[in-house]
Parts: sequence; C-alpha cells; structure tokens
Amino acid sequence: MLLFRSEEHVERAGKTRGAFMTTEQIWRLADTWYHDRDDPAWRRRSADEAEAVFAELGLGGEFWRLT
Amino acid sequence: MNVLVRVRVAVLERTIASGQVPTAGEIAAELDLPVPMVQEAYARLGEAHVFVCEPGDPSRLRMANPFSAVATPFKVTARGGTYYGNCVWDSLGIVSLLGGEGLVETSCPDCSEAMRLRVEGGKLVESEGVVHFGVPARRWWDDIVFT
Repeated sequence: MLLFRSEEHVERAGKTRGAFMTTEQIWRLADTWYHDRDDPAWRRRSADEAEAVFAELGLGGEFWRLT
Repeated sequence: MNVLVRVRVAVLERTIASGQVPTAGEIAAELDLPVPMVQEAYARLGEAHVFVCEPGDPSRLRMANPFSAVATPFKVTARGGTYYGNCVWDSLGIVSLLGGEGLVETSCPDCSEAMRLRVEGGKLVESEGVVHFGVPARRWWDDIVFT
C-alpha cells in the first residue's frame, strides 16, 4: 500500500492497476484497524468483520473480498 | 493473560518505548520467560498474521504490525519517537496507536517527490496524493512483505 502523487504516477511507475483509496479513507482504516492493537483484549478480526470495516469505508467489490 | 497476549503487548510496548522491535531474548528477559517459549510465541503470532517473523531467525520479527523492524520509506514521528511503518496503512496505524497525533513522511514511488501526511487531534489535517493497493485483499498474506 503505497502513496503516489496521483493515479498517473501509479501508471508511470509501471504498477499493475489495483485499487485506489483517498488519504482520508486510509486514515480512517488505519485508525479503526490499529488504535487498540496494544490492548490485551484486542483480537484479530475475522474475514467477515474485516470486510464489514472495508464496506463502512465504501470499499466494496471483489478486490476487497476476503471470504 | 496467556503467553501470546503477554508477548504481543510487551513487543508493542517495548517498540513504542524504544523505537526498535525487540528480539525474543529481550522479551524473555522482560517477562521472565524462557527464550524458546517467546520464540514459539513469535512463530504462533506470525502464523496468526498478527506479526510477521523474520525468515530463518526465530528470535526476530520482520514486522510487529504496524511497526517495521527495518527501515522503510515510511518514517513516522509521533509522541516524541521515530518509527518505521510497513506501508502507508501501517504508518498511519502507528499514529493512531500513539494517540492520533503524528507525521508520516514518505515519497512518491514514481517521482521520488517527498510527501507528508499529518494527523492532529485524531484528524487528518495535512495530506496529499492517492493510496494504491496493488494486491487484492484475499492475497495480501500470500507475500505480505511485497504487499
């Protein structure tokens, strides 16, 4: 998961086109994903739970499927 | 707390405090556990996709997610410390874990121009660019270092 200046820069870098996300979406994802990682009560999300997090951020479709 | 939980929390707390992902020996000494038991915990946390083990060295982690044990193009400054994230997602994850105040410095993989993401008070207040995911979610852990 890399940060590029724009979608054009991804193409110029010769990367296979995958999926794009805004910086606001990645911040919200990171915050949801990691804010409690050092809590003893933390547990890894199931695939269904992870997909629900993606869906809340508007990330749907085959690319974001884990199940 | 069971051993896996104790080891996970201790690894993250020590990384936060020192900026360095600890070895199994350092965690064993801190928790007063046998080194092989901590090595086994590292292996099990790796199998569970909580952390990523260093290939060929049972005493080391490559990633104590969201932290990287090695220098990367994602430098994070937060809570007075400097860290490396594994990717832009994990780098912002470090900022979140450390209280939602911090700076991620990286560069565009195409043109190498410096880029910054700054979070203050839990909000993204400075940002630029777009995030690209090259690998579909189902295949992230096929080769997590590449992902």
